[in-house]
Amino acid sequence: MKSLKILFKTEVILAIRSIDAIFFGVVFPVGLMFLLGFIYKDKPAGDGAAYTMLQLSFAGVAAVGICATGLMGVPISLADYRHKKILKRFQVTPTSPMKLLLAQGFTQFLISVVSSSLVFLAAKLAFGYKLMGSGIKFILVYLLVLITLYSMGMLIASVAPNIKTANLLCTLVYFPMLFLSGATIPYEIMPRGLQIAADVFPLTQGIKLLKGVSLGMPEENFLFQFVLMAMISVICIVISIKCFKWE
Amino acid sequence: MRENKAVLKVTGLRKCYGDLVAVDHLNLEVMKGEIFGLLGHNGAGKSTTIECILGTKKMDEGKVSLLGMEPHKDRKKLFERVGVQFQQSYYQDKIKVKEICELTASFYSKSQDYKVLLEEFELSDKQKNFVSELSGGERQKLSVLLAVLPNPEIIFLDELTTGLDPKARRDMWKYIENLRSKGVTLFLTSHYMDEVEYLCDRICILKRGSIIVQGTPQDVIKGCEAGSLEDAYLFYTEKEAM
Repeated sequence: MKSLKILFKTEVILAIRSIDAIFFGVVFPVGLMFLLGFIYKDKPAGDGAAYTMLQLSFAGVAAVGICATGLMGVPISLADYRHKKILKRFQVTPTSPMKLLLAQGFTQFLISVVSSSLVFLAAKLAFGYKLMGSGIKFILVYLLVLITLYSMGMLIASVAPNIKTANLLCTLVYFPMLFLSGATIPYEIMPRGLQIAADVFPLTQGIKLLKGVSLGMPEENFLFQFVLMAMISVICIVISIKCFKWE
Repeated sequence: MRENKAVLKVTGLRKCYGDLVAVDHLNLEVMKGEIFGLLGHNGAGKSTTIECILGTKKMDEGKVSLLGMEPHKDRKKLFERVGVQFQQSYYQDKIKVKEICELTASFYSKSQDYKVLLEEFELSDKQKNFVSELSGGERQKLSVLLAVLPNPEIIFLDELTTGLDPKARRDMWKYIENLRSKGVTLFLTSHYMDEVEYLCDRICILKRGSIIVQGTPQDVIKGCEAGSLEDAYLFYTEKEAM
């Protein structure tokens, strides 16, 4: 327990020092929230809509932190620790390399939660954002989407033979999802064709789910997304455990 | 100080990578309190042997008993009492000397005060530096420091003094001798024959995964009528198997 605590503390310090996790995971989405707030102000989402553009966009921006930590932070740090044989060094001590992975997972989770909380505060305090649905339900769905994206990140780290491939895979998955899933550019303003293409990304479905809950829409509309997220998580976790290599 | 008690016993160790036989039916014993040197060219199977002994690589055949335990079975218990310095140690990016010491100390139920060790290794003024800023020699000293941190009974040192300047090497030798006088067993690899001749009580020369000679450095030198251990080493490693 003592070592897990110190590991977690160290990993958090290292993440803050490395800047990119903080920039892509926290600064970028909070900045984006301000930008969207200034652009939309209290513009309604379409004629006679019950909610504003800001309320429609919130869930997507709140998910940017999950996307950055899950598809960049998790896989790249795992691949890096394996590449540097840090996991192997842990194997010749009484502690377990599993603890390092756990501490790393907690760290990414913390960054993601801080990111989404700051996005929420920015939207609420600067632009009067109001969550229309249930807060508890939103948090639960948020956790589900987080588990799904982290399991995809673990899958990338497990199947990539080396750090270069891991980097390439992350870039190939991260950027399209970041821009096309509705996290940064609202899904609703995309042309129909692009929307169909974007639907392929798990994060697009995850954001639809988050959006639905944040706008207080009836849950049964999102059963498909819910089941899909759960299924992707299970599949990715099973494959990553099967393929994982310590070195 | 030395007792006739084997702290490490390897029997019939064999490890292949595909078609390549890296270690072939290797047998060796290391006694408590001795300095044992495993020698051989790069690629002779030294690191593979160490990794199979420590359980970080799975052996294909054979048995390893380290402090009476099996490394992959009794990992947690065993590594409270075993220190390891791997060839080329890497650390997390942007970690500081003090932090890696604190972190490593936290893995053990009891360990030495790292501040005292930093003093002994003349690294005290580097505590707040990033590990990545250290010179090759300083980094090497740090990796040895981390290996001795838990006060182990046996220490594995892979290429102990590579990258050290002559003075730092002598300091390291003194440190190693001091450990031996406290009854610690040392298992090391090195490419410097003067170091091996000076430090090791017994050596073993590996060639293509097999032991070609073992004994005290004097025995090995006498065995081929060489003038120095370096000559003997070259004699044995260059001799073609008939």
